[in-house]
Amino acid sequence: MATNSLRWGTGIRPPLLSGGGIVLIGLSVILLYQVLVPLVLIVWTSLKTIRPGEPGFLELSFTFSNYVRAYGIREFWESSLNTVYFALSSTLCAFLAGTFLAWTVERTNTPLARLIGMITLGRIIIPGVIITIAWILTASPSIGVLNHIINSLTGVPRFFNIYSFGGMVWVQSLEMTPLAYLLMSAAMKSIDPRLEEASSIAGAGTWPTFRRVTLPLILPATAAAALLLFIQTVESFEVPLLLGGRARVAVYTTQVYFNTSRMPTDWGLSSTYSMVLLLLAMALLYVYFRLVRHGERYQTITGKDYRPRRIDLGRWKYLTCALSLLLVFLITGLPFLTMLYASLLRRFQPPTAEALQAMTFSNYANLLADDGYALKPLWNSTLLGVGSASVVMLLVAGISYFVHKTRLSGRKCLDFLGFAPIALPSVVLGSAFMWLYLLIPLPVIGTLSIIGLAYLTRYLPFALRFVSTSMVQIHSELEEAAAVAGGGWWRNFYHIYLPLLRPGLMAGWFWVMVHAYRELTISLMLARSNNRTASVIIFDLWSNGSFQQLSAFGVVMFTVLIVLVSIAQRISARYGIQEQI
Amino acid sequence: MRKLVCALTWVVAVAVSSWPCSSFAADASADQLYGSLAKLPADQRAKRIEEGARKEGKLNFVHTWRGKNARDHVRLFEKRYPFLKVDMGDLGSQDAAERFIAEETAGRHLTDILTLGVPDMAVILKQNLVAKFPTPSTKKILKQYQGFIDPENRWIPWYWAEHGISYNTNLIKPDKAPKTWFDLCKPEFKGQVSFDPSETRFLAGLYVMMGEEKTKEWLKCIGQNQPIIQQGHTQRMELMLTGDHALQGDNYFYSGMEAKKKDPKAPFAMVLTAPILSFAGGMIINKNTQNPHASALFVDWTLSEDSQNLINGILRGPLTIKHPFLPDNIKLVTYNIVSDEITKRLHEAWNQYIGRLK
Repeated sequence: MATNSLRWGTGIRPPLLSGGGIVLIGLSVILLYQVLVPLVLIVWTSLKTIRPGEPGFLELSFTFSNYVRAYGIREFWESSLNTVYFALSSTLCAFLAGTFLAWTVERTNTPLARLIGMITLGRIIIPGVIITIAWILTASPSIGVLNHIINSLTGVPRFFNIYSFGGMVWVQSLEMTPLAYLLMSAAMKSIDPRLEEASSIAGAGTWPTFRRVTLPLILPATAAAALLLFIQTVESFEVPLLLGGRARVAVYTTQVYFNTSRMPTDWGLSSTYSMVLLLLAMALLYVYFRLVRHGERYQTITGKDYRPRRIDLGRWKYLTCALSLLLVFLITGLPFLTMLYASLLRRFQPPTAEALQAMTFSNYANLLADDGYALKPLWNSTLLGVGSASVVMLLVAGISYFVHKTRLSGRKCLDFLGFAPIALPSVVLGSAFMWLYLLIPLPVIGTLSIIGLAYLTRYLPFALRFVSTSMVQIHSELEEAAAVAGGGWWRNFYHIYLPLLRPGLMAGWFWVMVHAYRELTISLMLARSNNRTASVIIFDLWSNGSFQQLSAFGVVMFTVLIVLVSIAQRISARYGIQEQI
Repeated sequence: MRKLVCALTWVVAVAVSSWPCSSFAADASADQLYGSLAKLPADQRAKRIEEGARKEGKLNFVHTWRGKNARDHVRLFEKRYPFLKVDMGDLGSQDAAERFIAEETAGRHLTDILTLGVPDMAVILKQNLVAKFPTPSTKKILKQYQGFIDPENRWIPWYWAEHGISYNTNLIKPDKAPKTWFDLCKPEFKGQVSFDPSETRFLAGLYVMMGEEKTKEWLKCIGQNQPIIQQGHTQRMELMLTGDHALQGDNYFYSGMEAKKKDPKAPFAMVLTAPILSFAGGMIINKNTQNPHASALFVDWTLSEDSQNLINGILRGPLTIKHPFLPDNIKLVTYNIVSDEITKRLHEAWNQYIGRLK
């Protein structure tokens, strides 16, 4: 049994007096405030027919009438069934594509692997609205560029129909693939190649080694990826709204949206709908814990040094390269090119000689005009993105340590609290924070702090899964050795865990930073004149119908984020080189 | 558990009760102030409002125009009254109303004025959150738009918006275009007409134009003609102009005209033979406004020549001068607020015949 487990489990050294104990208390307080308070507010509201703030809202009298209204209608169950099909199909496709890319980039000698990885991640930067619109313009039955080409070559009209269930799954899968890639590549980076080498020496080929050695070792990452992909698809809104409406496919989010979007918002009903997601998250988290309950089986990072080894695919490497390039073209290249093309037009039209002649930079000029109104939100988003990603990653590093490396009773509560916000749709979470700070007299309304606090809660679950995946791979013998050598908790955590967690931390940091940059619903609900974010500008441009200017802003945002990510990678590389053991 | 719940309740209750009360509300209500101002001659009233606004020095305003149009509008006001600092947020009508109600319910009087489409105001008016603001500036409103004025002075109309039928001229020739609302049910337009999901402001207009039974009949035949339901007025317009579909069953004309202004070759045309549904954008002043004079100054200014010319310039409907692109001989159906019960029935009919997502 691990030394720390002995120490923390048997009470040889009182945990609360150690460095770790102080961190544990701090984390618990933060989680209680950031997660439990909004969660209680939402559960409370779901049991009330009175709006928050109205007389009687705080009284201890409750009703289930919201539950009867929410779940007592046929449409809800029909849309729930559609949601399950939609989420399962998208999760499976995204997982397969993401895992294939991660394996190709991290574990094989495929040419252009780094470029493929970078382009895959670049996709996360492009706002979802633009992606969905780009696919409408690419594969709409009437105006889709692909349909025009196929029609002119074969005479077959309307070959693709993006307004269909298949179209929804296709766009959603491509949207989710980078998340799967990030999670799986972080896990694959941390696999000790000697295990695979041993398999090869024993006579197993590439595929048996992958199936019998690599795959079982990445089970925690697989479970985490499946969990996040499924829940994020259930929560997705842009694809169901823009494509599902035309495809006549109602899913959970659109059902909730149409049932609650009449004025005034029915907060009781909205909160009640989020209870389904909460239960779903709890059930999936339970399954996840069952899958990874034997944590020691996945510990591949030990005290013995290893060097990453890439599998030689021989001539097959050209096939994996071609397939990966095709995938990243569909995931990132095509939407980016559409965005770039649209940003140079006054009015969207198919690419003809006339359209090419009429290209202009006026959409970019308009962004810089008007006192550079788009610049401050870009700066706000940069602060929020970098700040919230850094704070969230520090928090989850601590949480995952206590969950996976100690035997403290109640550690799973920490994990649940960190994961619970995944069940809260952004609109519900945003309203909870709005109400919370309307009711609590802290001077955060109209500042970046209120948005940052909400982001903290919003992105905890995702970041937690990124880091947990890496944490379970670190063998406890490293900390035990350090403890024997007299290292304190802080020192061990800083010098052992943080450097070894780098793949998960960086992947999570990148993911949170980019998503915080893109986040719309919470930002929109909490934005006032001085704390507007880049995504609020995107919504402005979107709701004013200027897809061309929106695309120009998307290109600028893409560029800013690429610079930020490059800086982060350089810093992390330097840190990694210095600290890597 | 019960103790925990009680403790949480207590913390929130203390927090709410300890929040400082409004400074202005303690002195006099906005209603009283505006009532007394209304008794003054116009020039004295204007002078008193401006003097008061100078002392207040600021204004918190939520605009429901978004982006550049909203900024230009407020800048024009600040240019005229540089002593006032306007803190402007811009939100959609529904979000603005929702946030306003939330703030007032929580006792936080953070917004002085907001502007909303009048048909969306019912909830705010019902909650009695609005100051009554009689103003002589409404006398400037043209005769054909005077139906937008509220006899109780709860909102001040300052522009109007139009819902109508429009089409892509590359896909439909003018002689084949629909002439009436019921023409949209014709088989040749099957699967070619787009709408947003059900909206009170549109359904209320249909009700005023043709009554409840005819509206239901129309919704039924539209539902049978496989309409395209897609969220976002301007995005639908863009898609139609790109050739994605042929007709806008209900949309604002100005977005099509804006596209035509940017590119005269944009294939956009309006159907002017069918009645055009029109509602006003209204300014409402918070009953608990912290800056009542500044609020009054702004609301009066919105009907000024400067403000109305700006409205005209961005192709919205001004109330005191001629419309920028609509001819005088159109059939205009003007309306304000339709009762909750009727609205509910109309939404139910929409859900029945067209469906929430169909």
